[in-house]
Amino acid sequence: MNLLNRRAMLKAAGAGTTAAASNMAAVDVLSQPALAKELTRKGKNVILLWLAGGASQLETWDPKPGRPTGGPFAKIQTSIPGVEISELLPKMSTRLDETAIIRSLNTKIADHGQGYFLMDRGRRAEPGLEYPHLGAILAHELGQIDSQVPDYVSMYTSTEGRRQGSAGFLGARYNPMFLTDKMIPEDIQLPDSITDTDHNDRAALRRVLSENFARQTRDPGINSHETAYERVRGLMASDHLFDVEREPQAMRDAYGPTQFGRQCLVARRLVEAGVPFVKVARAWWDSHGQNFETHRELCADLDHCMSTLLDDLKQRGLLETTLVITLGEFGRTPKINGSLGRDHFANAWSCTLSGCGIQGGTVFGKTDADGQTVIDGEMNAGDLFATIFAALGIPPDKEYMVGSRPIPIADFGSEPCQEVLS
Amino acid sequence: MRFILFILAALHLTVGISAEADLPDARQVAVQIDSIINERLEAEGVTAAPLLNDEQFLRRVTLDLAGRIPTAAERAAFLSQAATDQQASRAKLVEQLIESPDYAYHTRNQLDILLLLRKQHDPKWREYLLEATTENRGWDRIFREIFQPEDTMSNDLRPVTYVTKQLNDLDELTNNASIKWLGVNIACAKCHDHPLVDDWTQDHYYGMTSFFKRTFRTKQGFLSERYEGLPKYTDIYGDEQQPGLMFLTGEKIDVPEMTMEEDELKKLQEAIKKSERDDKSSPPPRPDFRPRTEFVKLALGDHDKRFFARNLVNRIWARLLGRGLVHPLDQMHSQNPPSHPELLEQLSQHVVKTGYDIKRLTKAIVLSDTYARGRTSPNASESIAPELFAVGIARPLAPRQLSLSLRIASSNPEKLKGLVEADAWPEKRSELEKASEGVARKLLIPDEGFQIPVTEALWFSNNKSLQNDLLSQSGDRLAGFLKQTESDEEMIASAFRSVLSRAPADDEQSTLMEYVTTRRDRRDDAIKHLVWALMATPEFRFNH
Repeated sequence: MNLLNRRAMLKAAGAGTTAAASNMAAVDVLSQPALAKELTRKGKNVILLWLAGGASQLETWDPKPGRPTGGPFAKIQTSIPGVEISELLPKMSTRLDETAIIRSLNTKIADHGQGYFLMDRGRRAEPGLEYPHLGAILAHELGQIDSQVPDYVSMYTSTEGRRQGSAGFLGARYNPMFLTDKMIPEDIQLPDSITDTDHNDRAALRRVLSENFARQTRDPGINSHETAYERVRGLMASDHLFDVEREPQAMRDAYGPTQFGRQCLVARRLVEAGVPFVKVARAWWDSHGQNFETHRELCADLDHCMSTLLDDLKQRGLLETTLVITLGEFGRTPKINGSLGRDHFANAWSCTLSGCGIQGGTVFGKTDADGQTVIDGEMNAGDLFATIFAALGIPPDKEYMVGSRPIPIADFGSEPCQEVLS
Repeated sequence: MRFILFILAALHLTVGISAEADLPDARQVAVQIDSIINERLEAEGVTAAPLLNDEQFLRRVTLDLAGRIPTAAERAAFLSQAATDQQASRAKLVEQLIESPDYAYHTRNQLDILLLLRKQHDPKWREYLLEATTENRGWDRIFREIFQPEDTMSNDLRPVTYVTKQLNDLDELTNNASIKWLGVNIACAKCHDHPLVDDWTQDHYYGMTSFFKRTFRTKQGFLSERYEGLPKYTDIYGDEQQPGLMFLTGEKIDVPEMTMEEDELKKLQEAIKKSERDDKSSPPPRPDFRPRTEFVKLALGDHDKRFFARNLVNRIWARLLGRGLVHPLDQMHSQNPPSHPELLEQLSQHVVKTGYDIKRLTKAIVLSDTYARGRTSPNASESIAPELFAVGIARPLAPRQLSLSLRIASSNPEKLKGLVEADAWPEKRSELEKASEGVARKLLIPDEGFQIPVTEALWFSNNKSLQNDLLSQSGDRLAGFLKQTESDEEMIASAFRSVLSRAPADDEQSTLMEYVTTRRDRRDDAIKHLVWALMATPEFRFNH
């Protein structure tokens, strides 16, 4: 598929929906970035690899072998001089050129529900304010209001990985399309009770019957109704994006047989077609018991799928415009408990950012010898979100207006981490 | 003795009647509403939209009072009456709808959305609300039953749900108490004095949380209060503050000094702890001084700000007119004055006088011309400020309104004939309520600035079971009925009446004639398409 042509076509198709677009502009009223800047961030995409339940930093990006907290696994030298990661990630160890490792997250909240909230929104819950989560913000910032492809797709590997975030004050337009029990979003395929021609004719009839009513109005709610129905056929036409059978056998083999692998392949197909935000959740990392067995298995899947995804994006020239985030709600305790497990821990943990806007090959921040505390470059959730926005060309100090109240897109007082930005 | 009782009863009766006679009837209040709204329109030189015609009015008011679209039979009956005396027939329609079980169900559903946002599906709580709306309990009484259940109905666990569901988060409980019951959002003042609104300081925020700080839930599920506990906060200068009990008006309540011996207090605290752990323990001791009770007293108190009454008026007004007199609904403060201060004041006085009678207020509003304005301004190019209420505002249907309306629309209209009037209707309405549950749960609750999500359009376009249900051609469904209707013209007109509650315009009739004629060889399919297309219009999805 020719990406540029597709985008141009979609833009042209969207020319008629100024009413709906101006509705969204209301929320953006305080920030009117220069058009050039606006354009540079269009065409950018994000894949979030969500490690649901909380992966151990010690078995991934910040190993401490030989220490009481280190566990049984060794560390290995990576392609970046002086940088070592866990031996459980051998493939990633040779592919850090486009990746920045952050080892200094201190997010404090070590409870699944609240931790999820924090790492999904970049700020704590505040009563009376429905703050949108990362996917909704990025669908809003990077997508187009009338997009004929989905602008936010969310996949998960087991029920624990699924939590419905809310698009909050951005509105239901930015709710995700979920892939639940099937590999394809609900209701995106033609039902057998109707032929494609009839379905199309019926939609046209609906449009004609709506015209008189919708024309009389500037009502944004009614316009959103028409925009939603106008997107239906386009979204149905994007059903092939979810069909991995359309990939060459070699490509399917490369991603491997796991569900996570197949979903990563779908994620690549989606961003290639212009979907701005895709989340793939891999569960369940919550290893209170048998931490090392759990990580041996899950890290193998993560290592394989993440490295294949980065290779594939790079080969297609998509990595420059696609940011891959590998993150969970928190890390795990350095202390190994009586069941050979590690518990919830949010004071000193790690994540990675790869691709778009990122200075590859960097390691930012440092924890102490046992991994108990951050000793250099401490970052909180707001700082991480500011960094993500900056990498995508979204000014982190941009504000949304909610009623009369300005809400900065990244939490009050947060700063992007310049060291990992290219 | 019997004689005295009789006299007392008679006295009571006369008192009742004379109090009633002092109150303006709904029509008088409606006239008052129009006069204030029109005065401002004149002052601004704005021409209001023309009034709705009868079939438009019927749809709007049925959705608002009964929570569903009218049946084709209701429409026919109303139109024939309205032809002779429009005003009388509208008043009669409003009276019928507001006294029907539909009103109680719909008002219950609206209150449930307002108070718990359907976050909690709690049949007992919903049953309590239905009981309250069926009896048309005053809003103040509902408020008391929910916030002070210990004092009102000691054995009834149902209204307790509201507080207990929020009890693990003092901020949420405080904010919701203030947003939903008083129309004031003070969340900003948690961390600093409100930057834009002088009315709200951090003292207000923590002063309000103080009313709930002592509340706890017993193991048996009842509410009670402790003997001590007041929130403290550190202000922006780093000083610790403890504002004590302070209401939004700035009014403070002195916390009586504890005179109890330490031993005695300890014993009471032990008993409280026991009641929290043990579901067989006896009810916990109750302190004489109870901050939550003080909150209820202050909220209902007679002060000039009348947050409680104003919030009720504003929310009912917004529900029926699509926008509050104070907008947004949770921003009732000095920097955000109402669009019509005099109207808000008068209606607030009215609800206080009528014992916070929601039904009465609703009736007055829907009888006004202001309520019955069309959606199109006389001069289409002119943009009229919505707060003038010169033009009707389209409102997305709530999940149950839409779901019930889909059931009514997709039913064989012949089978609905006489149903609403029949004695069996309450039972039937309750069944419909249950049958609409599944679809309602698929839909989002509209909030301010609501947008229809694309997932809804996909679901409505492609979901198999929904299609099979709504477009079923069995004899008790609309598509089945239309199939049996021989004349295409009549079939089309009938579909319009059932789904959009109106007759088709000429161009619509001819568009559909063409659609059906070109599919003559498979008329059944064409019928399904046109039923679906009508249901998927914004005209069906919104109340307008």
